[in-house]
Amino acid sequence: MQKQLTRRDFIKLVGAAGGGLVLAVSLDACASDAPLPATVTPLSPTSTARPPFDWSPNIYLKVDQDGILTVYAFRSDMGQGIRTAIAMLIAEELDVDWNSVRIEQSATDPKYGDQLTGGSVSISSHYSGLRLAGAVARQMLVEAAADVWDADPAQCTTEAGFVIHPDKGQKIPYGELVEAAAQKEIPKQTKIKDASAYRIVGTGKGHWDAPQMISGKAIYGIDVRVPDMLFAVIARCPVFGGTFASYDDSAAKTVPGVRQIVALDKSIAVVAENTWAAIQGRNALKITWDEGRNASLSSEELRTAAKERIPQLGSNDKVMDAVYEIPFEAHATMEPMNCTAHVHDGICEVWAPTQNPQAVQMQVAAATRIPREDVTVNVPLIGGAFGRRIQTDYAVEAALVSQAIGAPVQVVWTRDDDLQHDFYHDMSVHYVSVVHDKVNIPRLQSSGSRSPVPTGAWRSVENFPQAYPTQCFIDEMAFERKRDPLDLRLELYSGRAAEVIKLAAEKAEWGKSLPAGQGQGLAYHATFGVTHVAYVAEVVVDEDGVVHVRRVVAAVDCGEVINPDNVAAQIEGGIVFGLTATLKAEATLKDGRIQQSNFHDHPILTMDEMPLVEVYIIKSDQRPSGMGEMGVPPIAPAVANAVFAATGKRIRHIPIRPEDLKA
Amino acid sequence: MSSYDLQINGQAYTVEAEAQMPLLWVLRDLLGLTGTKFSCGVGLCGSCTVLIDGEPERSCVTLVESVAGKTITTIEGLSSDVSHPLQEAWLAENVSQCGYCQPGQIMNAAALLQKNPDPSDTEIDAAMGDVLCRCGTYQRVRKAIHRAAEEV
Repeated sequence: MQKQLTRRDFIKLVGAAGGGLVLAVSLDACASDAPLPATVTPLSPTSTARPPFDWSPNIYLKVDQDGILTVYAFRSDMGQGIRTAIAMLIAEELDVDWNSVRIEQSATDPKYGDQLTGGSVSISSHYSGLRLAGAVARQMLVEAAADVWDADPAQCTTEAGFVIHPDKGQKIPYGELVEAAAQKEIPKQTKIKDASAYRIVGTGKGHWDAPQMISGKAIYGIDVRVPDMLFAVIARCPVFGGTFASYDDSAAKTVPGVRQIVALDKSIAVVAENTWAAIQGRNALKITWDEGRNASLSSEELRTAAKERIPQLGSNDKVMDAVYEIPFEAHATMEPMNCTAHVHDGICEVWAPTQNPQAVQMQVAAATRIPREDVTVNVPLIGGAFGRRIQTDYAVEAALVSQAIGAPVQVVWTRDDDLQHDFYHDMSVHYVSVVHDKVNIPRLQSSGSRSPVPTGAWRSVENFPQAYPTQCFIDEMAFERKRDPLDLRLELYSGRAAEVIKLAAEKAEWGKSLPAGQGQGLAYHATFGVTHVAYVAEVVVDEDGVVHVRRVVAAVDCGEVINPDNVAAQIEGGIVFGLTATLKAEATLKDGRIQQSNFHDHPILTMDEMPLVEVYIIKSDQRPSGMGEMGVPPIAPAVANAVFAATGKRIRHIPIRPEDLKA
Repeated sequence: MSSYDLQINGQAYTVEAEAQMPLLWVLRDLLGLTGTKFSCGVGLCGSCTVLIDGEPERSCVTLVESVAGKTITTIEGLSSDVSHPLQEAWLAENVSQCGYCQPGQIMNAAALLQKNPDPSDTEIDAAMGDVLCRCGTYQRVRKAIHRAAEEV
């Protein structure tokens, strides 16, 4: 059965989809029965050949005379596959062959609503709008074809880029219909596909950009090249909140290739003909820092203070309790922060690998005092973000340096810049408790660092520090009460939560006997309350106390699945990201600065440490609920619980170190 | 500044560069071959891997003066049309997420397969264990290398 959608529904749904701000405004500005504005490529009046014509029935797509669908990706892709998923939804409803799809990154423009990519909501908040954008275009093409045949549009069908005649004898490719379709009014009602008719949604698609990525042709922020551009690296005070007192740039200026030294508010930029010369120039700067009042701050001091803000362990004899600790975490994207900017003729062009292009536009405008409408923000591909690129600091720097030197410039952060000037996942401590004998999900009382250390979103944000203490403590409750951790969870959770817990346990053969030093651990979390994920981790703890995660069985309920292969990839990726925090790396503060500087002291999970990951997806017709961050939260508690099963040791902090577990 | 003759992807280039300039920046900033990626800058992550006379080398710590006259292959030179068996396997296994480390992964894998046409998981881990990926594509990298090995 197909759902009938009225025009009012379309307006409402597109408006409610969060990305339809200007669509709604356009509609408001038009007479109630007026069409959505169609973009017509300007034609040369003297041209005798068939002029090129692109039909853009709405802000999300265009179709050209070759039947190529171009989708405008209005959210940032940092590896989570949103460009591909947006295109899959539109291509499904428009009914084109996947090979006819192209993707262009959209402009930074309020007509797309808020373009911040975060919270794993790009699909859930645009699901209806994207489907309708494709469905409306399809219907207009059908009406154009029906005119050609003098047929009833309702009897015409479509398939892979063709409108099919009611008697199936004739078909017309979309490309031949776009000019006529552009003259059609936006339909007052349209049909969207029933799931049984899907040809694209629900099939596994690799990232549309993958061929470019694996041939070195993909353009990430750091690959942007502008004629006559220069390169800059910046010296920043290692202590948070500090600035420079004085500096001597005489040696830096003699480094071959160095062009100019630019003092910014609190930092010093070295501008050069290439990145290497800029790095050498920075090394040659002699800077006296004014470290300010944070110069003695340490992680230990912050953790001690945070623990004073939560109840003391054992302070209430009516409850069983525990305290869990999570350190500062860095994002450590493989592509370091960078941005290219060109301030000229009163305008600013920015190429920012960012999750937050509209904030970049606003902050660059504020810093350069260039009107916001004269700041253009282009979003290239992004080599990992994980929340770091919601911030705008790297873009503001690039714009200010370009403004100061009057030339296009790319500011590149080295790895130590990246690790030491992050917006970290905040350190936190958690008092977890449950009244003795009550079968409740434990109560969490938490405190962050409340420090001058810059903090921000880190893949899954608050869900990581919710899931880790809660899911570990449920295992503590089970142990105390001599219950099986699976049975206790099935008493605590119901519905979709219970279903993923049961599925993961079943597929992992929960409770199977394992040799000494090995164990299984179970954990569940619904990230942002919407996507249900359960893991069973299997670990081996060797005699040196090293934890080897051998296998993780995952069960996921994320509602309707757009791209199942990418759901699995996001789970694999969430596990790897979370395992780095669980077993390997943290950011530690000493003397007011982050101590880690590169992958030797901030190691990330490596291939030989990669567990076998198996992903089982629950079939669902619920609205899609997001996947980008959902794989991260349950892995730390699943591993910690497995470590307890293997060793009898309950570790209440991460990362879990070999010295925590040595016999 | 000195002049260096470089053989990159079967093409001859002459560059004017400081002797100490790493090959990575010669490729990226002087020649515009941006497929080779910068990430750690000190030879710890493998994102910048290129083949020098067939051996995988980290271009961020390989000085330009040391590679003059040698045969250099970057990701751009692996194939002209994404047809190298590793590239085809990469697409078949949907390996890439953000994609940034993938040129380095593939160049390391290419060197591995040249020496060992049918590597085991353990041999793959040993050869690829220090090529870092923050997105977590490792399981698929491993599968893609096996798939490419079958094709070769």
